[in-house]
Amino acid sequence: MDALPPDLVSIDLAARAVSLRVDASLYPVGAVYAAAYVFLDRCYVLLDRPDAAHVRVSLSWKKGDPPAGALEALAGEFANELLSCAWRARIAEESRAVIEATTARALSGAMGAPSLDDLESFQFGDEAFEDPLGIAMSWEEKYGKQKKEAAK
Amino acid sequence: MIELRLHRELYRGECVDEAMKALGAYAAFERAEEPAHWVVRVTAASPERERRVAGELGNRALGLTVKRGGA
Repeated sequence: MDALPPDLVSIDLAARAVSLRVDASLYPVGAVYAAAYVFLDRCYVLLDRPDAAHVRVSLSWKKGDPPAGALEALAGEFANELLSCAWRARIAEESRAVIEATTARALSGAMGAPSLDDLESFQFGDEAFEDPLGIAMSWEEKYGKQKKEAAK
Repeated sequence: MIELRLHRELYRGECVDEAMKALGAYAAFERAEEPAHWVVRVTAASPERERRVAGELGNRALGLTVKRGGA
């Protein structure tokens, strides 16, 4: 087993199993769960927590004897899946605020037009509202004087 | 007999119980509790059958735990 570090992965051929030592600070438990779930149909998955900083993942071959190199391949595939799940979990965590804000805006927009009670309680004041684009101005106010000046 | 030790921080107790019920027809189970683990002793007609039932029990308990959002 050249590719996988021996301090992290150990193979027990007699038990037809491979064991991975996962650093819990790099891979959250949610990512370990997600990766383990993917492998439930391929092998027997057993999780353990030998200490607070690590999770041990044991993958046991289901039927018969595994072909040569199959357990190493299984460990490598699990490691890849674990990395993928951890990365997705991190992206989801980082974009959580944006997703929540977008969802809140979408829900408030979906509430529809204001009710009669909302309109009744609305404060109509005498103060002029801001009109930076001149939408509330009449045509004469906006263009009439300019035309006269332009005519001169 | 195979002894399966499922850590309490990683497996829900109710999920272990459900897995034992689902596989009760294939082996005899004896459950014990330790401070950090749910312990299940599996006894079946042959060692290979014990291994298989213990593996399926662990998978089922883990699957149910994951589906319910973790331990």
